[in-house]
Amino acid sequence: MYNLLLKEIKLGVNPFFFVLPFITGALMLIPGWLYFIVPLYFCMITIPNIFGGYKSQNDLMFTSMLPVDKKNIVKSKVLLIVLLEALHVLTAMIYGKISLSLYPYLDYIFFKPTPGFWGLTLIMLALFNLFFISMYYKTAYKYGAATLVASTAAVLFAGGAEWLGIQNQFVYNLFKGSGSGDGLIHYSILLTGVLIFAALTYVAYRIAYQRFKKVEV
Amino acid sequence: MIMLDVKNLNKKFPHFQLSDVSFQLPQGYIMGFIGLNGAGKTTTIKSILNLISVDSGDIHIMGKSMNEHEVELKQTVGYAFGNVDFYTRSKIKTLTNVYKTFYDNWNEESYRHYMQKFKLVEDKKIAELSTGMKVKYSLALALSHGAKLLILDEPTSGLDPAARDDLLDVFRELVQGGEISILFSTHITSDLEKCADYITYINDGRIINSAEKEDFVDMYRLINGRVEDLDHIKDRLISYKVTSFGFTGLILTENFAPSAAFKTAIPNLEEIMIYYSKKEAAHV
Repeated sequence: MYNLLLKEIKLGVNPFFFVLPFITGALMLIPGWLYFIVPLYFCMITIPNIFGGYKSQNDLMFTSMLPVDKKNIVKSKVLLIVLLEALHVLTAMIYGKISLSLYPYLDYIFFKPTPGFWGLTLIMLALFNLFFISMYYKTAYKYGAATLVASTAAVLFAGGAEWLGIQNQFVYNLFKGSGSGDGLIHYSILLTGVLIFAALTYVAYRIAYQRFKKVEV
Repeated sequence: MIMLDVKNLNKKFPHFQLSDVSFQLPQGYIMGFIGLNGAGKTTTIKSILNLISVDSGDIHIMGKSMNEHEVELKQTVGYAFGNVDFYTRSKIKTLTNVYKTFYDNWNEESYRHYMQKFKLVEDKKIAELSTGMKVKYSLALALSHGAKLLILDEPTSGLDPAARDDLLDVFRELVQGGEISILFSTHITSDLEKCADYITYINDGRIINSAEKEDFVDMYRLINGRVEDLDHIKDRLISYKVTSFGFTGLILTENFAPSAAFKTAIPNLEEIMIYYSKKEAAHV
């Protein structure tokens, strides 16, 4: 399992995609921006590029010939996705912290980068994983439709959340108003986000494995 | 010992099927797996490696079922696909460093030995290797993890005659110790005349024959005769060609009674393949 993950990192993924989070994360420094876009770059740039690379390098066949079982093939790819998502979110969180200290008196139209916002971001990525991972493993090489559907789900979630943050007074207060400094609520939302992310990613992995067992290389 | 035992493989696709594919490869020999393009060679090889799931049938490698011991058996199987490349933009040493972490019996000394023997430079990218060198690199990897069964899908396709001959010498050398067995698919039958011990012939998803090379060829006769005599023997011929000089046809040796009317010759593998394919065409 460890060697498969190492294979993804050394062979499958261009080092650029490990640097990208530090560049996209810097977009958090734009004052009052639509910060949901930052992690969405992972969904719309990193994912199709990495999986396009797997397709063109015949990764499915290469990996299937190795003495490893199918479960670990799926698990290692899911872990890679989670690893990269964590990197994107963590770097964005750090830039977010800097952004908050740079512009302490800003009036936010879109979500302020509070811990609760990162909880929502994780729920968005959880939805992305659920759709992308499970759809991709129907064939284990076609990534286009899976990326499209999963990104659409993520964008709809982000759009819905932002709409609620503008339309609903309670949500507005919680994320942009007086409630945005309430650590207990915000860290609870973050924790909920982590749990939903873990649960949906696990469900995606289980579905993917069941589908991958039927894939013919 | 039987190294590879393929029993009654069946697999149905929308436009093609493998029907009852069975053959055995003893340890220490080279088996040529021949058939025209699209006859089912790669599909059979993929079934052996569990890359596609078969509808029915069994595959045993060194007496163990591939279905039950896939991960363990893949430690002892080496492969080379003549027409599929992996991670071509990576350097040889990058690919090797990743590849070797998967094998329990990786032997670095063997690897160095084969890299030197095959004149492979570790700093080169896979894309920079010639087709023959790519096959040799696959062999170096397989032999360094102690593979006992080499499954090679069209390893000589696309090679020039000198590179082909060179590779065939390598194959012969590998089986000399009696431990390694090679299953080697091709449609270039002259390669097999040079190096195969056994021949398995697949046509349209069915095994026509699997036997020692000499016995395989001896089962057929090529006969020549006048067109007027064709009617006497037509039903027993696998297929035939008519020219202005008469006819030439392929017949099973057991179906042929020597006669002054016909000249006979022992066919080569290519002729056997061609006449069988003509038979298929006649039935379509």
